[in-house]
Amino acid sequence: MDPVIDAYKSGIDVTLIVENLRRTPEERLRNLEALQRFVLRFRGAAFRERIDPS
Amino acid sequence: MIDIEQAHARGRTRGVHRRTGDNIERLVAALSPLHPYLRGAPLGLPFRWDTETVHRGLNFTLVTALGDLDLLGEVTGGGDYDRLLPHSMVIVAHGIEMRILGIEKLIDVKRAAGRPRDLEAIAELEVIREQRRKLGL
Repeated sequence: MDPVIDAYKSGIDVTLIVENLRRTPEERLRNLEALQRFVLRFRGAAFRERIDPS
Repeated sequence: MIDIEQAHARGRTRGVHRRTGDNIERLVAALSPLHPYLRGAPLGLPFRWDTETVHRGLNFTLVTALGDLDLLGEVTGGGDYDRLLPHSMVIVAHGIEMRILGIEKLIDVKRAAGRPRDLEAIAELEVIREQRRKLGL
């Protein structure tokens, strides 16, 4: 038992994990890729906002 | 054998490769079009992505045209490709067979690595393991 790991566990949304476990590995991978594309787009927008706030 | 980190959507892929001459040749050829370079290193270093470089090294943290890639010859707490093989499983995605590390061994190697940034991922993996057991998966 590691108290730090246990502390992190209290903040995990188990419903999302269960929802994910019901998907196939391919569906999980596709969701991950979609999330990564979103993060990349968001980072790009944040970068553009920083260099040209107008 | 791959481990795609999703805890923080960092988009970093970690792969363990078999260190045979043939495999290193295939690996170098496959990744060359993605222009691998040492992640975090200043531009302009005399880094060459070729079989000699991969033979001389063991674990590489790279940036490529498709994102970050950790290319490992050995994993702390897990050993090399052949030692990890019995703890892996095959999944099919995008019509491609991929070998991924099973959750038990993945938790073991993350614990063995002892990196503070892995603590959150270990917590998530342990919750996933508990839920899989509850769901009978």
